[in-house]
Amino acid sequence: MSKISTGSFSIEELENVQITIGSIVGAIEKKVEDEGEMGPTPKPGISGLRDWDYKLLNRYEPVYTPMCDQCCYCTFGTCDLTGNKEGACGIDMKTHQAREFLLRVITGAAAHAGHGRHLLHHLIETHGADHPIDVGPTNIKAPVTQTVTGIKPETIGDLESVLDYVEEQLTQLLATIHVGQEGAAIDFESKALHGGMLDHVGMEVSDIVQISCLGMPKSDPNAPLAEIGMGTIDSKKPVLLCIGHNVAAVTYIMDYMDEHNLTDKIELAGLCCTAIDMTRYNMDKGGTPTAKIVGSLAKELKYIRSGIPDIIVVDEQCVRCDVLREAQKLSMPVICTNEKIMYGLPNRSNDNVDDIIEDMVSGKEPGALLLDFEKIGELAPRLVMEVAPIRKAKGITALPTDEEFKELTNRCVHCLVCEMACPMNLPISDAMTAAADGDLTPFEILHDKCIACGRCEQECPKDIDILNVIEKASQKVIREEKGLMRAGRGQVSDPEIREEGVNLVLGTTPGIIAMVGCSNYSDGTKDLYDIAKEMLKRSYIVVVSGCTAMDLGMYKNEEGKTLYEEFSGSFLKGNLLNVGSCVSNSHITATTIKVAAIFAQRNVTGNFEEIADYVTNRVGAVGIAWGAYSQKASSIGTGCTRLGVPVILGPHGSKYRRALIGKPYDSDKWSVYDARNGEKIAIPPAPDYLVTTVDNAEEIMPMLAKSCIRPTDNNMGRMIKLTHYIELSKKYLGIMPDDWHTFVRTETDLPLAKREELLKILETEHGWEIDWKKKKILSGPTMKFDVSAQPTNLKRLCKEA
Amino acid sequence: MVDTTKNIKVYTTYGTKSAKPVQPKISAKLISKAKRPLLVVSSAVLDEEILKRAVSIAKKTGMQVAATSTSIKGFLNEDVKAKYINIHALATYLGDVDWTGLDGEGHYDLIIVLAHKKYYINQVLSGLKNFTDLTTLSIDRHYLQNASMSFGNLKPEAHLEALDELIENL
Repeated sequence: MSKISTGSFSIEELENVQITIGSIVGAIEKKVEDEGEMGPTPKPGISGLRDWDYKLLNRYEPVYTPMCDQCCYCTFGTCDLTGNKEGACGIDMKTHQAREFLLRVITGAAAHAGHGRHLLHHLIETHGADHPIDVGPTNIKAPVTQTVTGIKPETIGDLESVLDYVEEQLTQLLATIHVGQEGAAIDFESKALHGGMLDHVGMEVSDIVQISCLGMPKSDPNAPLAEIGMGTIDSKKPVLLCIGHNVAAVTYIMDYMDEHNLTDKIELAGLCCTAIDMTRYNMDKGGTPTAKIVGSLAKELKYIRSGIPDIIVVDEQCVRCDVLREAQKLSMPVICTNEKIMYGLPNRSNDNVDDIIEDMVSGKEPGALLLDFEKIGELAPRLVMEVAPIRKAKGITALPTDEEFKELTNRCVHCLVCEMACPMNLPISDAMTAAADGDLTPFEILHDKCIACGRCEQECPKDIDILNVIEKASQKVIREEKGLMRAGRGQVSDPEIREEGVNLVLGTTPGIIAMVGCSNYSDGTKDLYDIAKEMLKRSYIVVVSGCTAMDLGMYKNEEGKTLYEEFSGSFLKGNLLNVGSCVSNSHITATTIKVAAIFAQRNVTGNFEEIADYVTNRVGAVGIAWGAYSQKASSIGTGCTRLGVPVILGPHGSKYRRALIGKPYDSDKWSVYDARNGEKIAIPPAPDYLVTTVDNAEEIMPMLAKSCIRPTDNNMGRMIKLTHYIELSKKYLGIMPDDWHTFVRTETDLPLAKREELLKILETEHGWEIDWKKKKILSGPTMKFDVSAQPTNLKRLCKEA
Repeated sequence: MVDTTKNIKVYTTYGTKSAKPVQPKISAKLISKAKRPLLVVSSAVLDEEILKRAVSIAKKTGMQVAATSTSIKGFLNEDVKAKYINIHALATYLGDVDWTGLDGEGHYDLIIVLAHKKYYINQVLSGLKNFTDLTTLSIDRHYLQNASMSFGNLKPEAHLEALDELIENL
């Protein structure tokens, strides 16, 4: 077997016979093993990293906040588990909540892995399995994949076995949801962490295959800027709206438009991550994206109701279930391009394009399921060119006329039922009163805060289409919604890590703030801008993706510049990087792995635990999923936490049912080993959570600074981080944080400008002994500073072990 | 007198156990009888009218205020025992019998919540309901199903009136 390799072979004695060996099971892994690089846990099973999980879960305990007191999983039930009671199968509330959380995580992971598998099948078919992976200047092409599976993929065909592993593990995890399986909450937690880790592998496969095959930017800090906002769409042109996350079908539409000189004639707009990837398509050689981004999921119903789109093309994930119903009311044909969303439409994949177009233009069919990408490419542009003139002539929209608007606002009886039904209890009633008096401002404010779920309309006893009223009132601000987003750049390159790694590990770059996730914000989109700007000004590296990357581009400074224009896009302090769409989140965890590999020369191959240990102790990174709503967001976040990157969620994140929070007052939990000799050393209680939530954008600011503190910070690094923590706490909460002293090891950790003042506080309020002549701390700190210490949670990495 | 027990329609149900609707006067009695009550407020307390009443409750009872989110800003110049804490951390510590409280003097026996995002505090209360023996009382303007006792859904002006009545009876 060792002599067999992949490739094509001729057999001398047999003319015209050639044997092609596509892949050999285990060949890549064997090659790595032969090179002596394989770590201890390639392709870990469910229990493979359980010890590591237990270490994390010992310090950061699961905190459950159930969304429902009952369990209705099986016919034993419904069981009332209130008060941590046991149900008929023996499961208690705590364990059931852990199971519920696991289910969310693997649902999210399956969505990404399914997306990746679909893309991989398609791109192997179009580009061949031997198509090389090309993600930019790097020796570690797939850092998460390599760390988890031990596989170092070179071609897109190599990614098949990676997804085989992910899919097999996800099936095993899903099996544990069944009644009568796991009975310990902590082991459901470990499984959830496993699912989160798998998610990052699935995402990485998805993104590197599309970067490699679809001409997307390859670690490009200067990826082009794309237009974003409802106000950027030229509604006079035929408008083709694409919604979802999987850009495969849309690339055929873009190619057809290009080949038939339709690019200038059709307005190609997108919602959600498909939109982001439309702006990345074929941008690796430069240029300006022709596709425009409408925005995130929160804009979906708003934009459909505006009547501006002439046809809608959907693929998968985060597409509203009522798209067809809403579109049908407005004579907008809907094309489903992916088996995950078919809306009960007839499968027209084998039909003639002319016939399908005719059926939709005539209104005979409200849409079609079309799984043939070539046909989609031709049909969508042709259909929109035919439908648009008809729709525009009729002026079709769901929004009320001025007169209807007046009648609707006067019809409101101010019963407040809409506000109770609103997930955010938005003040709709007062806005109705103001609008009836001619003041549209309250509705304009609601337009940004409203996530367009439509729950208010379901409850209104007066049948007022409240969302339409909000949108009608906000036409002026909608027209001004024009911003820019830097197209997703993909991975962080090796040269960038080489330049910045040392600053991160020593703390002189105060940290990485990764802002990811969806648009279920608690108070509108502006918070994202405010958070990013504050941290960028303080030289943090801000990395963004997905909906956050979009909404961030909607605001401008006094000079009319968006953050993407104001700050550069390299992996350097004070830079703003958009890695790309939802699946590009894997590049964020990959970056921390690369720091371990490149800066610290750690072997990453099949070596997850050691790398996670490194990241936990040394890489000051924190994730924010400010508007997280989806199962995918839970799996993304959970993948970060297994690697040791803490995650803060907005207040809606409490509905994920569980957080991981430490107790700073329990000193036993805050120590690690020194790898030089195996001795225990105290570490600062930061981050004091792995997953938590905050109430608003102001509260998050000091928490971000604290979350980047790590045991390996040198004095300069700790001083910088403490300075930001104290300043941000004073600025946004009006107080000196009460735990700042717990991060002080020596006087040189103290912010220079306030050193004397802080020494005084340490002496008077905390009883520390100070040598005032030398301005030195003599006693008090619970931690020592030792520049050579090698903090680790893993006894096996200690020299004495 | 405001009837704070009328409208207890639940818009997003959690299941079988719902907070007992409570009148302001009874709420005042509960608070007065508690040995270690804790008033947990959030950013909505920065509304002038609500803040005035939160400060009155804290002053009249001398109870500790857990100032979550950015609410601490409202108490900086007030003579009340207020301390910032993140609410998810607070929910965690409240579930730990070994926690010695915000002032180091021991655990609490009654948790009173005011001025929160409804969906957020309801999650916190869900955790406390299911995994602790704490009694929780909501004097917020929305009915909070997961508290032990709660005001019903109230219009803003009725809510202020109810708080005044509660303060009067402390």
